[in-house]
Amino acid sequence: MNDMTSLRLESVVKKFPQREGSGEFTAVDNVSLDIRKGEFITLLGPSGCGKTTTLRLIAGFESPTSGRINLGGRDITMQPPNKRDMTMVFQSYALFPHMSVFDNVAYGLHLKRLSRSDIDKKVRATLDLMGLGALATRRPNQLSGGQQQRVALARALVMEPQVLLFDEPLSNLDAKLRVQMRGEIHRLQRRLNITSVYVTHDQDEAMALSDRIVVMNAGKIEQMGKPEDIYRYPATRFVADFIGRANFLDTKIQAIDDNCAVVSAFGQTFRVPLQQTPFSVGEHATLMMRPEAIRLAHDPSAKQVRIESAMYLGTEVEYMVMVDDQLWSVADTDPRTGRAFDEGATAGMTILESSLHLLKASH
Amino acid sequence: MFTLQRTLKDFRRTFGDPVLALGLLVAVLFVFFTILLPIFSMISAGVSGDGLTSLQRFITDPVYLNIIRNTIVMGLTVALGGTLLGFLFAYVQVKVKAPFKRFIHIVALIPIISPPFALASAIIILFGRSGLITKGIFDTRCLWGEGRGCNDIYGLDGLTLVLSLSLFTVAYMNLKGMLEALDPALDEAATNLGGSKWHIFRTVTVPMLVPGLAGSFLLLFVEAIADLGNPLVLGGNYEVLATRIYISIVGLFDTNAAAALSVVLLVPSLTVFMVQRYWINRASVVSVTGKPTGKPQQIEHPVVRWVLWGIVMAFCLLIVTIYGTIFVGAFTEVLGVNNAFTLSHFDFVINGYGAEAMTDTTLLSAIATPIAGLMGIFIAFLVVRKPFPGRGALDFATMLGIALPGTILGIGYLIVFNNPIELTIPIGETPLVIPIIPKLTGGRALLGGALAIILVYIVRSVPAALRSGVSLLSQIDPAIEEASTSLGANNAQTFRRITLPLIRPAFLSGLMYAFARSMTTISAIVFLTTPQTRIMTAQILNEVENGRFGNAFAYCVILIIIVLISIAILTFLVGGSSAATRGLQGGR
Repeated sequence: MNDMTSLRLESVVKKFPQREGSGEFTAVDNVSLDIRKGEFITLLGPSGCGKTTTLRLIAGFESPTSGRINLGGRDITMQPPNKRDMTMVFQSYALFPHMSVFDNVAYGLHLKRLSRSDIDKKVRATLDLMGLGALATRRPNQLSGGQQQRVALARALVMEPQVLLFDEPLSNLDAKLRVQMRGEIHRLQRRLNITSVYVTHDQDEAMALSDRIVVMNAGKIEQMGKPEDIYRYPATRFVADFIGRANFLDTKIQAIDDNCAVVSAFGQTFRVPLQQTPFSVGEHATLMMRPEAIRLAHDPSAKQVRIESAMYLGTEVEYMVMVDDQLWSVADTDPRTGRAFDEGATAGMTILESSLHLLKASH
Repeated sequence: MFTLQRTLKDFRRTFGDPVLALGLLVAVLFVFFTILLPIFSMISAGVSGDGLTSLQRFITDPVYLNIIRNTIVMGLTVALGGTLLGFLFAYVQVKVKAPFKRFIHIVALIPIISPPFALASAIIILFGRSGLITKGIFDTRCLWGEGRGCNDIYGLDGLTLVLSLSLFTVAYMNLKGMLEALDPALDEAATNLGGSKWHIFRTVTVPMLVPGLAGSFLLLFVEAIADLGNPLVLGGNYEVLATRIYISIVGLFDTNAAAALSVVLLVPSLTVFMVQRYWINRASVVSVTGKPTGKPQQIEHPVVRWVLWGIVMAFCLLIVTIYGTIFVGAFTEVLGVNNAFTLSHFDFVINGYGAEAMTDTTLLSAIATPIAGLMGIFIAFLVVRKPFPGRGALDFATMLGIALPGTILGIGYLIVFNNPIELTIPIGETPLVIPIIPKLTGGRALLGGALAIILVYIVRSVPAALRSGVSLLSQIDPAIEEASTSLGANNAQTFRRITLPLIRPAFLSGLMYAFARSMTTISAIVFLTTPQTRIMTAQILNEVENGRFGNAFAYCVILIIIVLISIAILTFLVGGSSAATRGLQGGR
């Protein structure tokens, strides 16, 4: 085991008894994960993909059906949650409603039997760090949503845990506050360098915060990697679809040359650099392109498409265009053009070769 | 096999905490010895030997068949009457714009603290053959009819009236809660779609309340057939199972026959309990979000409004008159005959056996109440938060304490604890005898039978604490407790520092209810009182049976005062601070 590894999941499986009938439901299916010290990992996926269960297994609120969990080289699989050196920030904040902000934050320190003056010092410092100094005597219900979120974070941070766990902590905030808190979590985590595991279904949040993203689906890890890699080179169609928007086209590998696959689309030939996934000549594959990798122009020589809808969003114009019999999403991110095409108009479509990516054909 | 191993593993993990494991053990032993064992013993006495012979006679003898029929009919009429009355009160309270709502609410709650026999005795004074109203005002012995068709207060009609009035509070509270929890947006949506008030009432309100109405109906049915006090006083020739059981024990000393009759009484009670548990509770469609989205719309139609309000006020007037009669009767020589003011009834109660009964009853109830409360909350905690195998069974067994008629429990205690329970190990010449539970009932019982009475009080109160605990705990976001765990607290610390403070206010109001219930219960303890341990309700029965209504009323007044003072003390202790109002959703 690597010195740098902080938290390790080894082939962790969690099965729940089915609510109806006697069967079992596998919530987490053979998940293995190495998390480095100070790393920020996000578990991302649709609801029911097993991300929250994985987090609860790490926290110890659930025990794995099989597999092991290691923290700092020690097996903690059977260790009760209150003995694990981790704290969790909950989706509902889970502040203690009968205690003041100060007492909420001091709660864990009291349990550690720290001296009164130590507790006072640590709590004050953390509250100041979170900009909550003036609210110490308030009750949770006297705070705004954003402030409650900060208290929840302060309560977890003050424990100086080896690992910080986040269970969709921002999903109850409105959009603007969410972006602001996201920035704050990012800043704090980088500054304090605490290993963090973060669960969300919001891909923007995952991209903004993570060193690495773990995309989960149906209890399994679909792909694990840096945000850029996940976005640009998704390993499966599921990941491509879940992270951002994507358009797909069935194609056939004509040749492989210099680690590039040669494919044709709309009568044009493209060279697509190959990533991890191996392909062979003659194989059917799926060509993936992001909406921003497609350009629309008044160009009669290019592939002609019909504009089905055009939505102006400020930072971009989002078009839905009919490409043969498929509806594609195209983003015009050039601020100078504005809404260049009206609904029902015809445009010429070109694809940027450098943004293309090949996926195994979906059956 | 694999799943069994895993279940065991989960179980070990959950109860690896010694405090929790010990608590579970105590709860299981308690439920076994104080609920299951008496009930099973009662059943086995009823269906074997002499009991079986009696049982066979009962289900063929027309006299007994008539008693069974009477019991069922009375249960149905009371259930119908009480549910309608409760619904009417609740509907007016929540949905009708009318004055004096606070007064209506308080009047509806009065029957909770009412001692048994109080209502029945007052009704006899008012509407009896020489009642203040029947004889005094209308100069008749009858409620309706004349001469041979005369129908007096005794029998089914009087019982239905008195039992409906005594029991409708449960239906009222139940339905009021549901009506309040109905999302006003539903009404608004229905109005928005073009529905008239009457149409909305028929197609939205009532269907949403069906589980509540059915639940109240069944609950009242069980309470009515279990009731002993009222049929004893008001039954006349109308005999029901509960009174026949009482006579079997007190008059005929035939425990086996009583057990056999109890088995007959057990069947409908248990059936209703099962239906409640496995059907009604699942069919509930009222979604309690805790966040009313608007103000409930109220009925403003003048005719509907005033007619409904008028009926409710008439019943309020009746209830107030009845309780007024109790109060006045306690200070009057013989109400209706000699209306002179006197304190002799209070003198009799306070300076006679009454003083002993007062202290005994209050003391035993006061001991039982906190134990019942803690036990109930603890079992609720296990059931809601600790997913261990058998939690459903634990919950079920605990609920049997109230689901079954008190007489059944009382007879069970009489059978089980009349002799010490001992474990005999045959070694050597004198076998080793290990006493487990000493003799608790009858002559020379431990502490004069006081322990058995305390146990019965606890058993009868735990279910209420359990239910209120379950509903309170379900309202607390489990993440709050997990947060505490995540911050390093063990189960006991979390329970003491987080869970208990959050549920405290509502928990204490549950305790008040339990205390009032213990103080006023009769059917479960009537067979367990001894000359050493006098219980007020049993003393009241004694006075009523001997026609000394004045003394009975004095007892009732004192009992009501004790309950009210206790409630005041508890309320003072709780103070105004209520964590419940601060929201239980983790500060949200």
